[in-house]
Amino acid sequence: MKNLIRIIVISLMIVSCQKTPELPNSNYTIGGGVFVVNEGNFRSGNGSLSFYSYDSSKIYNDLFYSVNGRPLGDVPNSMAINGDKAYIIVNNSGKIEVMDQSTLKSTATITGLISPRNISFINDNKAYVSSLYSDSVTIINLINNSISGYINIRRSSESIASTGNQAFISNWTGGKEIMVINTIDDQVVDSIEVGIEPESMVFDRYGMLWVLCNGGWARLNYAELVEINTSTNYVEKTLVFPTKEASPTCLKIDGLGTTLYYLDNGVRQIDISSTEIPSITFIIQESGEYFYKIGINPLNNDVFITDAVDFVKQGYLLLYDGTGKFISKLEAGIIPGSMCFKLRINT
Amino acid sequence: MRNTLLYIAIFLSLPLHGQMSIGTDTIKINEVVISRNKYNSDPAGYKKTTIDSSILVNYSNSNLSDMLSENTDIFIKSYGMGGTATPAFRGTDASQTLIDWNGININSPMLGQSDLSLIPVGLIDDVQIRFGGASMSLNEGGIGGTINLVTKPLWKKETLISINAGTGSFGQYSGLMKVKTGNYKFQTVTKGYFQNSENNFRYLNTEIGSEPVWQTRTNSQVRQQGFIQELYLRNSNNIASARIWYESADRNLPASLLTQPNTGEKQFDESLRTMLNYDAFKGSTDFSFTGAWMMSRLNYFNRLASIDSRNLSETLTLKAGLENPIGEYAKLKIVLDEQSSVIKSNNYAHNTTRNTATMTASIERNRNRFGTTILLREILDKNNLLIPDFSAGVQFRLIDNKTYYLKANISRNSKIPTMNDMFWVPGGNPDLKNEYALIYEISYEMSQKISEPFNLKYDLSVFRYNIKDMIEWHPGEYSYWTADNIQSVNSTGAESSVSLDYMRNKINASLKAGYSYTRAIEGGSNIGNDISVGKQLMYVPENKANASFRVGYNNIYSLWVANFVGKRYITVDNSKYLPGYFINNVSTGIKFTLKSSSFDMNFNIDNLFNINYQSIAYYPLPGRTYFVKILFQIVK
Repeated sequence: MKNLIRIIVISLMIVSCQKTPELPNSNYTIGGGVFVVNEGNFRSGNGSLSFYSYDSSKIYNDLFYSVNGRPLGDVPNSMAINGDKAYIIVNNSGKIEVMDQSTLKSTATITGLISPRNISFINDNKAYVSSLYSDSVTIINLINNSISGYINIRRSSESIASTGNQAFISNWTGGKEIMVINTIDDQVVDSIEVGIEPESMVFDRYGMLWVLCNGGWARLNYAELVEINTSTNYVEKTLVFPTKEASPTCLKIDGLGTTLYYLDNGVRQIDISSTEIPSITFIIQESGEYFYKIGINPLNNDVFITDAVDFVKQGYLLLYDGTGKFISKLEAGIIPGSMCFKLRINT
Repeated sequence: MRNTLLYIAIFLSLPLHGQMSIGTDTIKINEVVISRNKYNSDPAGYKKTTIDSSILVNYSNSNLSDMLSENTDIFIKSYGMGGTATPAFRGTDASQTLIDWNGININSPMLGQSDLSLIPVGLIDDVQIRFGGASMSLNEGGIGGTINLVTKPLWKKETLISINAGTGSFGQYSGLMKVKTGNYKFQTVTKGYFQNSENNFRYLNTEIGSEPVWQTRTNSQVRQQGFIQELYLRNSNNIASARIWYESADRNLPASLLTQPNTGEKQFDESLRTMLNYDAFKGSTDFSFTGAWMMSRLNYFNRLASIDSRNLSETLTLKAGLENPIGEYAKLKIVLDEQSSVIKSNNYAHNTTRNTATMTASIERNRNRFGTTILLREILDKNNLLIPDFSAGVQFRLIDNKTYYLKANISRNSKIPTMNDMFWVPGGNPDLKNEYALIYEISYEMSQKISEPFNLKYDLSVFRYNIKDMIEWHPGEYSYWTADNIQSVNSTGAESSVSLDYMRNKINASLKAGYSYTRAIEGGSNIGNDISVGKQLMYVPENKANASFRVGYNNIYSLWVANFVGKRYITVDNSKYLPGYFINNVSTGIKFTLKSSSFDMNFNIDNLFNINYQSIAYYPLPGRTYFVKILFQIVK
């Protein structure tokens, strides 16, 4: 009887219908590839998860829905893998979906976050999550998948990078600082002034923290690329972009930790020893394309670019090899955004 | 009688085509004399639709959005109880639909659209719907069409007082009072109302977990109130009127099922509309002058995102019309329309003004069974003369003295960009061109008394819209979006309606049914490799149908309204859609009349079968809803 009621209830529910996505064969996860987080249109609830498999050279779309039978949420922003779990930060749903990284079956949903953006794993028990609209970084207990506390940094947060006992948190919208947190006691211990709107950060092979400061949308300030020594928390080097029109985003680094990549009207490349912003474009953005995010495969330096087209329709995942040679273009979800590499183990 | 049955059989065996509520009233609420307002008259060759007054009475405690979505072909995009609701005609969008008050556009000049959830049906005496080219005789910019809300006096030497109070599920309660009084020369009309609703309905949330869960809608309270005061004066050659309409609405905006709750989203809308009108009839020439000043305020607040958006617009409209016969069968109309808007918004760089002047000339000719209309319009915007718009209509009466018409029209209609499209910071583009459409329409209308108690009406229209230079926001060269004229849409479809009235002795009955089919196809933009080209527009249902059956016996009446909306795509490549829904409402009441007063008690059930459905994805709509109301009326 209970089953009957459930069947009736389920048959009455409203489900947005869709094309059945092509499901990867069950062992696709053995191979390496990259997850693409498709943001979907703001408030339309059509965010989704895609996976590009190196084994089949194919993209598999709408994976979260096909595995879990419900939408991923509104504007998923980023994804990260920690051990056998994968985490998707769903910004406008205020939640984190915790999944088994090989089956993608949701194992927990952490709700009640305020506009979460990115996650950084501090240790096996703890992660920090940044927030666009609150003054606090949220501390997540990874054991029981719950919010265990907040660190008030008095400003919004975007990118998080942690090393040793320090976490560096960028204050992107309207800010110009990197806040430093002691990850043992979760206290703010320092702040580092950088350029306007620090958006993305990476560590290089020497443990230096590179911060890409966007300069702000109104183009009133120059964008900057800033190198921070994480043992002293001092700025070692500042490279200023040549014009105020430059609006670089999405700083990444190769597997060796020596070449930086970012988007600025195409993909650009810069060596960490360089003393000026490069004028040449590594991968040119063609008319009708909108390069939104990039990902660099740390094993072979393949460049993945998400093309958001017009931010309304389905976008594309573009794949180039390490020399910048075009390999393929594959249809992804709506507004394909940030990527998360799933590296082949034992190859 | 046999003929009658044959007619019924034929028309009921047609796939219930049509859209309901064309034409006369089955139940006369008040006999009214319509003042002459010549430039609002109906030109030959165009389809027009008027909502039945019995329908309006039934929806007196509801908003225009519910009434239109359940009784017409117009699809209403509704965010549910407490949320905004905007109309879409024949595959066009909300900013291409004009909402008029007595022929003056009341759309916000910033957004270019009106929120129909804030317009109470109880304040309105007549709702006229003009599709496509037919709207051009009223106003410019109604590419999709115009919904004209008419308020009017009695022109009788009597006093009408009506008081209407109702309460229903989810904390709904509302009250409406109307006083119409005066004599043949002077009339005053006063109407006031309030509506409160908690909108805390239960719905089944299937989207957030592996098991569906019942939840209660939160942050969806609405409080709104308003009044209309009107004064009319007339003598044999002149009519003068003054009108004021005030509205305010305070509401919390409910969130999508997938977005985080407690964003503290709320909106305050306030509008003050004033209008002076003077009509003079000098010999064979009619003059008409209207001056309207309207203020509208929209403050939007989102606590989570720290958005505090404050917007105030003021619009002054001056309209002058002249109508003069030419020869025996034709008449010439000339209308000058000047609109200036001032916007104060913290989303614009500075206070911004815009002036638009329009001249419209039209000639109508009616002789024997033929009627023709030709209309030409020139818009002067920012001191630029734009490509003129035009419309031409023909109509042919198939049989002398019988109501069988064939009508056809062709139009070019354009719409100036909204002020947000031009001046929003960032991304507004002051160099935008007008959107324009070529509109073709053919229709057939008939009305026939079949036999003594039966009257039958039927109509069928086929339309085609080619809309060009549509404005779309897209990511620009920098990291913000910008507006450009890049999109085109081709919309093709048909509408049909049938209505059958029966009136004999103590029984009156009325059956109406309507159906519309709309293929609104994305014609493409300048963005390469466009997968949406050739696909149906999002949120335009291909199929929509409605039906109602009303029956009255002595002082008891019942009404059944059924409404079907087919699937609507929710992605531009049509890969996902919301399933169609079929909603039934029933209403029954009893009316006592005692000398000059009457007392009407009504019980209403909306969504009788408790269907779980959505008009916009992830915004739930209420299940079964009860409403009880009483209407007390005195005529002296």
